[in-house]
Amino acid sequence: MSPSPSAADSVVLDDPNDLVISRLLRAPRSALWRAWTEPELLKQWWCPKPWTTEVHAFDLRPGGAFHTFMQGPDGGTSDNPGCFLEVVPQSRLVMTSMLTGGWRPQKSWLGFTAIITMADEGEGSRYIARVMHPDAATREQHEKLGFFEGWNTVITQLEEFAGTLR
Amino acid sequence: MAKYSIAISDVFHALADPTRCAIVCALVGGAQTVSSLAAPFDMALPSFMKHVSVLERSGLIRTTKTGRTRTCALMPEALSQAEQWLAEQRALWEARSDRMVDFVERLHREEQNHVTKPKRSR
Repeated sequence: MSPSPSAADSVVLDDPNDLVISRLLRAPRSALWRAWTEPELLKQWWCPKPWTTEVHAFDLRPGGAFHTFMQGPDGGTSDNPGCFLEVVPQSRLVMTSMLTGGWRPQKSWLGFTAIITMADEGEGSRYIARVMHPDAATREQHEKLGFFEGWNTVITQLEEFAGTLR
Repeated sequence: MAKYSIAISDVFHALADPTRCAIVCALVGGAQTVSSLAAPFDMALPSFMKHVSVLERSGLIRTTKTGRTRTCALMPEALSQAEQWLAEQRALWEARSDRMVDFVERLHREEQNHVTKPKRSR
């Protein structure tokens, strides 16, 4: 296992509501693309062991269904129907939990849209995931609430929790 | 996943409205009566009360009535649980990205070995 990248390397703060994760891989973009777009490969890393992932739908085109179902050892499950919004081979994938296949709206527990980008960098490739949640609060309101500092400040306390997910 | 005593989605729904978010911000400084909270808003009281009740149902605030005066107070627990939820989402995606990197790099190494040392020729 590669060492955890430093917080500065793994997180880029932009919009305070967005979670942005960046990784530099010692592998070409083609391998990255395969890991994301071949369900047999995706399910090998999608959730932490001993949880397992079933891919119920994987229709790789805008409006196509993307549906994962995760199962834990103690009977816990996580059902995640969703939909692809944009598919640019080898470079960009956009998906949301607020729609299902065929653009059909669904009531999502707490909706998100994720933008996955892949680019060549050095000998390898750069992976960036931006996860956006709905929130209409302004930056000043966030500051007033001391809220959503989460992205910035809780990194150390999370290392332990993240460790249990690997 | 940690257990939550509140519905996180209700908290986010409550905060997603600018008026409600402003109410919560105003209460950071301490409890206030509904009439003083409502004063800065150009809004009929019944409409304002709807926002107050959404906030109360979400667990973000608590209201108490003394005589004819209703007072609103912030319940910090709901905010901190929502923040904890966000923290977990982050941990989840961080860990997922780490697993993906390990997987892709292994996949790439295996493919390279396969290319340089083919098991059988065609």
